[in-house]
Amino acid sequence: MIFNLSHFQSMILFALMISIAFGFLSRRPLRERAKYIGWSFLLFVLIGIGIGWMMYPFSR
Amino acid sequence: MSDESQNQLSASESSPPPPTPESESQPRLQLARPHTNRTPAIAATIGVAGWIVPGLGHALQKMWGRALACFFAVGVLVVIGSGMRGNLFQSADADAFGRLGYIADVGTGSFYWLAKALEVKGPDVSRADGDYGTRFLAAAGVLNLLAALHAYEAARGRKA
Repeated sequence: MIFNLSHFQSMILFALMISIAFGFLSRRPLRERAKYIGWSFLLFVLIGIGIGWMMYPFSR
Repeated sequence: MSDESQNQLSASESSPPPPTPESESQPRLQLARPHTNRTPAIAATIGVAGWIVPGLGHALQKMWGRALACFFAVGVLVVIGSGMRGNLFQSADADAFGRLGYIADVGTGSFYWLAKALEVKGPDVSRADGDYGTRFLAAAGVLNLLAALHAYEAARGRKA
């Protein structure tokens, strides 16, 4: 089984899995969990894209 | 001071104060899972079980949501990581980073062998996919170690 994912797809998948696991481990009521997972996922993606753009001038 | 007043004073000092209406009306502090205060040996067994099979430590404590989330997250990271042909480190690695990577990979417990079985063509880190796969596998291991530690702490009654 071979997966060919783009950089963006890999980042989204990674962020989603880690956010779900952290959310379930650290928060208990369902509402708090959902809120934590959403925020964590959003911040993972936004910070990832931000760091990507910060590295852009040095990529060539 | 008269004898009667002295008797009243000693009686008020010795007997506990009667419950006030305020203290009765206050809600009792309820611990999240007071019945989960297990002995260190049982808690350690639960932690090890959680390491060997991701989510089992929580499942043994009837924390079904957490058990499923750990199993699902670690499983997906391992399957995708090995599918992207990430590097699965070996115990005989001479490099210090390789040994650290091995510790992270072994953190997935029994899923280490699953990743080995899925990676039939071996690792390929010459492409970005393989490099990402290596990170996925290491992240899965570290995440599972964290979950196993959480299961141990929950069994000791320190985590809700």
